[in-house]
Amino acid sequence: MKFLIVDDSNAIALMVSEMLKEMGYTSDRAVDGNDAVKKLEADNSFDFILLDWNMPNMSGIEFLKYNYENHLTETPIIMMTTENKPENIREALMFGASEYIMKPFTKDIIESKISMLNQFKKVA
Amino acid sequence: MSMEIKKEIYDFFAKFVYDKTGIFYPEKDYYRLDSRITTLMGHFQCETPDELFNLYVTKRNKDMEVVLIDLCTNNETYFFRDNKPFDALTKTIIPQKVAQNGYVNLWSAASSTGQEVLSIVMGLLENNPGFDLSKVKITATDISQRALKKANSFTYSSLDVQRGLPAMLLVKYFDQLPDGQWQFKSEFSKHLRYETLNLLTDNFKPNFYDVICCRNVLIYQNKENKQMIMQKLFDSIRSDGFLLMGSGESLIGTDITLTQSSVDGAMFFVKENQTWKKAA
Repeated sequence: MKFLIVDDSNAIALMVSEMLKEMGYTSDRAVDGNDAVKKLEADNSFDFILLDWNMPNMSGIEFLKYNYENHLTETPIIMMTTENKPENIREALMFGASEYIMKPFTKDIIESKISMLNQFKKVA
Repeated sequence: MSMEIKKEIYDFFAKFVYDKTGIFYPEKDYYRLDSRITTLMGHFQCETPDELFNLYVTKRNKDMEVVLIDLCTNNETYFFRDNKPFDALTKTIIPQKVAQNGYVNLWSAASSTGQEVLSIVMGLLENNPGFDLSKVKITATDISQRALKKANSFTYSSLDVQRGLPAMLLVKYFDQLPDGQWQFKSEFSKHLRYETLNLLTDNFKPNFYDVICCRNVLIYQNKENKQMIMQKLFDSIRSDGFLLMGSGESLIGTDITLTQSSVDGAMFFVKENQTWKKAA
């Protein structure tokens, strides 16, 4: 499976890509929402998008709203953020996020969320 | 820091754990007691294993037993563990039992920190809109006081609630506390209470439960204890009742006769399932 990591932090993006690599997955990276839009317009073959909330230029929630209105991609989007209030989670889900990971997290939590969404894909 | 533990001390703690929990440490696995003995030394402020041993031999009290049992039981669990059994219980088995009898007696026999019970409650409400939770009388027990304390607080860390629990259910069924932890909403937990029970030494209610969940417990027991616990579980299940065990567990090594039955892709053991067969 191929992931798009959308995060302005080099350290987080590297850590997550290493975790995904250990799980046997590949990843590409976008540095903010604008970059993610460009990457997805060029290549929409990702299996999952991991999306940070707080980023310059276009934030994670702005990306979700852009995608909600413009139908850029149907790839499942997993938020991955320090914004952990229930209202944040509800807003992200309302605008099309499939799952939500609160930082800090561990590798098994990424695995758990992927497994949940893959089960949903099988049922759907 | 290397620490020398004499064989007689290993023997003592291995027998102590076996007598209280049925968890058996053969001599080749004595090294697995090392970290537990070290933790106990810290807890009871002992400098050496000998000092701890002397304390246990001369001044043993209930508190010391509780701490040792907590250390030796595995409380690893997460929400909707293995998934399929929860679908089968909450979409099919429990609703059918409620329709037939008006209520269900369900026992979570190794409830650990509570995720199994809360998964059943959420599953029932999600799969049966408007479901009357008072129709399901849940008994939830565990041997570990540490696990029971957490279960009865209905409070989980942000790591706990991300293991197996969809975000949509998190915001629907949990409130976030000021310290960032998440608490199961009282409107859904008000009828739940977790209690102490030792599967090895305590008696079970005979002929009482329609569903018993006893997952990943018997794998730690030797043949004799497995037989004894299975016999008590068998006596405790009502006719046409369901037993859910862990995915790797079976009745092999016991003389218990229960029928294996697949419900919605999940494996259950059923006691005299004539009615179930007719209903299916």
